[in-house]
Amino acid sequence: MTAIFLLAMLFILLFIGVPVAVSLGFASVLTMLLFGDQSLLSSAQKFFHTMHVYPLLAVPFFILAGAFMTTGGVARRMIDFANALVGHFRGGLAMAALLASAFFAAVSGSAPATVVAVGSVMIGGMIASGYSKGFAAGVICNSGTLGILIPPSLVMVVYGAITESSIGRLFIAGILPGIVLTVVMMLTLVVIARRQNMPRQERASLQTVVRTFREALWGLMLVVIILGGIYAGIFTPTEAAAVSAVYAFLIAVFVYKDIGFKDVPGVLVDASRVTVMLMFIIANAFMFAFLLTTEQIPQFASELLVGMGLPVWGFLLLLNLLLLIAGNFMEPTSVVLILTPIVFPIAVDMGIDPIHLGILMIVNMQIGLVTPPVGLNLFVTAGVANMSLEDTVKASMPWLIVLLAVLMLITFVPWISLVIPELLLE
Amino acid sequence: MGSINRLEEGVLATLLALMTILTFVQVVLRYVFNSGLVWSLEATTYLFAALVLFGMSYGVRTQTHIAVDLVTRRLPRRVEKIVNLAAILACLVYALLMLYGSAVFVDRLMILGNHARDIPLPKWLLTVTMPLGFTLLAFRFLEAGWRIFRGKRETEAGS
Repeated sequence: MTAIFLLAMLFILLFIGVPVAVSLGFASVLTMLLFGDQSLLSSAQKFFHTMHVYPLLAVPFFILAGAFMTTGGVARRMIDFANALVGHFRGGLAMAALLASAFFAAVSGSAPATVVAVGSVMIGGMIASGYSKGFAAGVICNSGTLGILIPPSLVMVVYGAITESSIGRLFIAGILPGIVLTVVMMLTLVVIARRQNMPRQERASLQTVVRTFREALWGLMLVVIILGGIYAGIFTPTEAAAVSAVYAFLIAVFVYKDIGFKDVPGVLVDASRVTVMLMFIIANAFMFAFLLTTEQIPQFASELLVGMGLPVWGFLLLLNLLLLIAGNFMEPTSVVLILTPIVFPIAVDMGIDPIHLGILMIVNMQIGLVTPPVGLNLFVTAGVANMSLEDTVKASMPWLIVLLAVLMLITFVPWISLVIPELLLE
Repeated sequence: MGSINRLEEGVLATLLALMTILTFVQVVLRYVFNSGLVWSLEATTYLFAALVLFGMSYGVRTQTHIAVDLVTRRLPRRVEKIVNLAAILACLVYALLMLYGSAVFVDRLMILGNHARDIPLPKWLLTVTMPLGFTLLAFRFLEAGWRIFRGKRETEAGS
């Protein structure tokens, strides 16, 4: 009864347009007042203590690092380097766009940011070189989703905080799935480029490759600092995030000199706006998760599913379906925050590794980003490419097959998500 | 409106900058000089709470809170207005309930009279940001509701 009221309330609030954060908080507080034995005091405490959850301190710092990296010409330098590497292949410019998205994903931690940064340069560039607008938009829209899979990823920080899993482990687990998806998309591009006889560019000289690499290196070092620091045990992920924010500031202002001192307050305001928006959802989601736990709702669901004799593969398929549907209506962090407290205990009961579950959820969220009606990447791409939403959806659709294939691979081959953390961290 | 805007943005930017600098300095002190500031982490977490609590109302005013507007967008104008008002009412009740809860929270801390772990200040003083934040939030929701009622705005929260 409690569970039904809570979930019904949550969905009604969400669908009448109440902000996600308030929907989570209000549904929880109301349910608690009507059915639970906790007080408003304990809700307030839970809310306040969210900002004392140490791993979540990484959220503002990673957002700030990403904000500094996005304002500057970091993306342009990564594009130059990617172009020098693969531009001479057939369809080289498209491959360079994909590669640059993967690079930029490793400094921004956000999918829409990746689309804006790489897309605003590359879509125009590809059209000028004779690619169709739809093809250019499709590549950018989908490769931009790498932003939440390749570490550092904000969605991983949130998942790690709510499940009390190691964020360092999640980051390192994201490396191989990120590479697998990049390679599969790259191979798809090779096939399409051959078939459609796409243009190639002049091969860049070795000097150009080295020069563009040096230019891009300052930006790429960010992910090396984060992953290297965490792996070597020098930093906690939170410290790594603070160091990367300061590093990104120094690079943008003193090394690349893309922004001046007078632009810094603006970057800080942008980053705090995003931080507040996310943390307001997260704090309310913690109240929601707290209520689920005290009312033992996931346990009931788990017993029900196990009692039905649902096998693990069946559960995983069902979970994918649920995540894909939810990902169609909400942005990744909200979906992860709402569904993780419900499905995580069930998955653990079924013997699924928490890290594998995290990666699986993120790949599902990537697909949600490029499927209508509310795929955020679609909106951003339509804006950057100056296309209608319908045309962007059409252009992006063929890539859905690639993403779904990789999702199945990652769902049923846990090895891909688990091998690197096991090798490095044991 | 312009000066309030600058004030709110100035506070947010300062809080975020302070948090980042404190944590960064702490890392440098620990690994380079092998020392540290005991109060640094606690101060950072209270600054973080202040940032989020103060920023909530700013988010309402600048419409940055994410909402699902898929259904409401497709409704006829008049129905849409009613649904939007219902949504804002839910937001307002939420803010008031949380305001009550946080006021009780601060009151308990005042009665207990504890000091923070590492900062030489009473705990309630560091937590008072919470009722203040929810008061501002309730005020902004009220303002947004009034605007929808007068028909000046279509949705209470953008995407």
